[in-house]
Amino acid sequence: MQRLIGFLFLAVTSFGVIAQEEPFQTVITPAFSPITWDRLVNADAEPENWLMYSGTLSSQRYSRLNQITTANVDELELKWAYQIPVIDRAETVPLVVDGIMFITEAPSNLVAVDARTGGIYWRYDHEMPDDILICCGRNNRGVAILGETLFMSTLDARLVALDARTGNVLWNVAVADYKAGYSKTAAPLIVKDKVVTGIAGGEFGIRGFIDAYDAATGERVWRTYTIPGEGEPGNESWAGDSWKTGGAATWITGSYDPDLNLVYWGTGNPGPDWNGDVREGDNLYSDSAMALNGDTGELVWHFQFTPHDVHDYDSIQVPILADINYQGSQRKVMMWANRNAFYYTIDRETGRFLVGKPYAAQTWAQGLDVNGRPIRVPGMEPTYEGVLVSPPIVGGTNWYSPGFSQDTGYFYVTAFDGEQEFFKRDEDYEEGQRYTGGGGRYTQPMDAFHSSIRAIDPATAEIVWEFPIQPRSSAGITTTAGGLVFTGSADGFFFALNARTGEELWHMSLGARVHAAPMTFAVDGKQYVTIASGNVVYTFGLRD
Amino acid sequence: MGLNAKSWWRGVFALGALSLTTFNLPANAEDGGNLYNTDYDVAQGRSYFERQCSRCHGFDAKGNDETGAPDLTGRLNRASSDVGIFNILRNGIAGTAMLPVPETLPDTLVWQLVAFVNSLSADPANIVLPGSIAAGADLFTGKGACNACHMISGKGGRLGPDLTFVGDRRSPEELVADLIMPNQDVEPRWWRLRITGRDGITREGFRMNESSFSLRIMDEDDNLWSYANNQIANYERIEDSTMPSYAQTLTDSEVDDLVAFLFSLRKEN
Repeated sequence: MQRLIGFLFLAVTSFGVIAQEEPFQTVITPAFSPITWDRLVNADAEPENWLMYSGTLSSQRYSRLNQITTANVDELELKWAYQIPVIDRAETVPLVVDGIMFITEAPSNLVAVDARTGGIYWRYDHEMPDDILICCGRNNRGVAILGETLFMSTLDARLVALDARTGNVLWNVAVADYKAGYSKTAAPLIVKDKVVTGIAGGEFGIRGFIDAYDAATGERVWRTYTIPGEGEPGNESWAGDSWKTGGAATWITGSYDPDLNLVYWGTGNPGPDWNGDVREGDNLYSDSAMALNGDTGELVWHFQFTPHDVHDYDSIQVPILADINYQGSQRKVMMWANRNAFYYTIDRETGRFLVGKPYAAQTWAQGLDVNGRPIRVPGMEPTYEGVLVSPPIVGGTNWYSPGFSQDTGYFYVTAFDGEQEFFKRDEDYEEGQRYTGGGGRYTQPMDAFHSSIRAIDPATAEIVWEFPIQPRSSAGITTTAGGLVFTGSADGFFFALNARTGEELWHMSLGARVHAAPMTFAVDGKQYVTIASGNVVYTFGLRD
Repeated sequence: MGLNAKSWWRGVFALGALSLTTFNLPANAEDGGNLYNTDYDVAQGRSYFERQCSRCHGFDAKGNDETGAPDLTGRLNRASSDVGIFNILRNGIAGTAMLPVPETLPDTLVWQLVAFVNSLSADPANIVLPGSIAAGADLFTGKGACNACHMISGKGGRLGPDLTFVGDRRSPEELVADLIMPNQDVEPRWWRLRITGRDGITREGFRMNESSFSLRIMDEDDNLWSYANNQIANYERIEDSTMPSYAQTLTDSEVDDLVAFLFSLRKEN
């Protein structure tokens, strides 16, 4: 409550200054108060801030800010742009804390700027070895904050804690050996006094895990492997020793339910990706949602979307948590549009499958059985010659964040209707070498395919509306109490849709692919919306 | 005989590589060309490529707009020789996502990779075609009337792809197919859009750009039109080609001549 009063006071002060039309406006350095765990749990109550990668622990990416609405969104104008000095694609979702914005850059750098102007406070350039092994680009998607400390993953598989006021390094620990193909790209998630974080490297035969570190010291508190070890339940779902190099990486940020004390995290493909012959069995817990006890990391339940995956259908999506009316009763659910082109609503207390249907073009499964397990179409496994399958390797969707609106009750996802020829190859595991067992090839130009923003009713898994865009988009989604869905497109547009109808209300060409999710915040009583496109972070607001 | 000679040289080269290591000379290849270019070497290179490089360059090496990795099956923009390719593989390309191969990767395998990359595009100097370049040039502006739609070096029409360097991007086999079956492989740039505006006027033109919120076309009179989505009542894509098939209008030997001419349109000429 005190926080909210502070915010209102600032807003009033600011408007006062404008009303008096003073020629020289005093720049007030925004207050920066420590981010307690309680504030993170109630992040939705201070919508002027964007306190974690997915906005709130439930990852809905729904903001209560309602200054920008369906009626005035077409008045948005550019307020400032920040050029990232290292040329690469930006996948960052910045945080905003009391008027200060924290932007991550490729390969693993961080800059703090004034959220109203883009002016720099400080920057941190992570010292990077020159022999890192990465599969898919030098990306970093964001940071986490607790107290006055920021936590960042780095490409050389380290976790770094930085003082939020100065960028000074507080601690810097190795999470795994980068020389064996481990790397880190995703924003960590704060759970109480711990920093929970995943690992990338599923194309290098790693054994995936989810870790928790003491936020104060950097000491590891728990590690849960995504592939059970010898003697553990589930290990028998891997033929021979294949579990040791089975991948199941955890390269996107999870979610947390404080009432259930459960951490929800998606896991990636089993390795090698496209040759399943060497790893017969379901390959638990690859391509799964894992629900872990937040204090101990103990596995409470799991749901495997794609048993024995041979198409690289990672379950690397951000789980969205919400309480919805399902068949007449209020249920705690988890919503998940999977890379395998099926949408799922799952009971997040038990992991029980409730409903699921395809939301994008797919040819690999006839449907889902009553437990949500896919019923496979025979002959869709990769071959040496190649076999045409939907969705393609990039999936019906991928790592980019979906959204949920508390006003409409709809789930929103960027969907791709494509197809690709899948090949398999015979490969032996060698540490530090790629271990994928094949690949894919498009047989048509990309322009022959189709992408859409789709709104899904989580109670039925039915598509309510869709808005077509050029293929293949990799932009995330943010929703607001102004009735809006903000997202981007592959051809460089940032745009706003009516969350209820899908009608386009505003668009702006930013000139380069949008590879990130938007976020929204307010300073001095004014709402802004920020998106990275190409190598630039843009912030928009209403006309003054 | 040629193969045997290569095998002999390979032994000498291996010794040379060893001495390079001993004397700590730079890892760059500076001369000598590629001595690892048998079918076996190409297969080894392909295997490494599919495993380590295909994520960005594609399983078919045709590149990927999303990763920015270029098509390796035609003329290479950053390397004009085996040594150039070798050096890019060893050193990467600064400021891009092209990382060097691991330091521990033996030179042999890097050369095999060079051989594979070379195998993706045949050396045009080694290709002997049956047709006459001069006769093909006459057909281009004469009986074929290709220049009505296509430009070469700034002369010709705008209703088809510029053919100034077509020999760098299309093989002779592909050029034959283009002439005989023009609808088989139409680039999206040469699809057409038939757009009816909210004013009721319908226009048709080449698909210069189709974005999420607007369309741009060039009609048959070379006029450029840009439509915002909210100006469009409806539109359709036409994915076949406006080019006629020359299967009936040209004889087989005329097709050979035209292909010889088109294939000669390369940067080195």
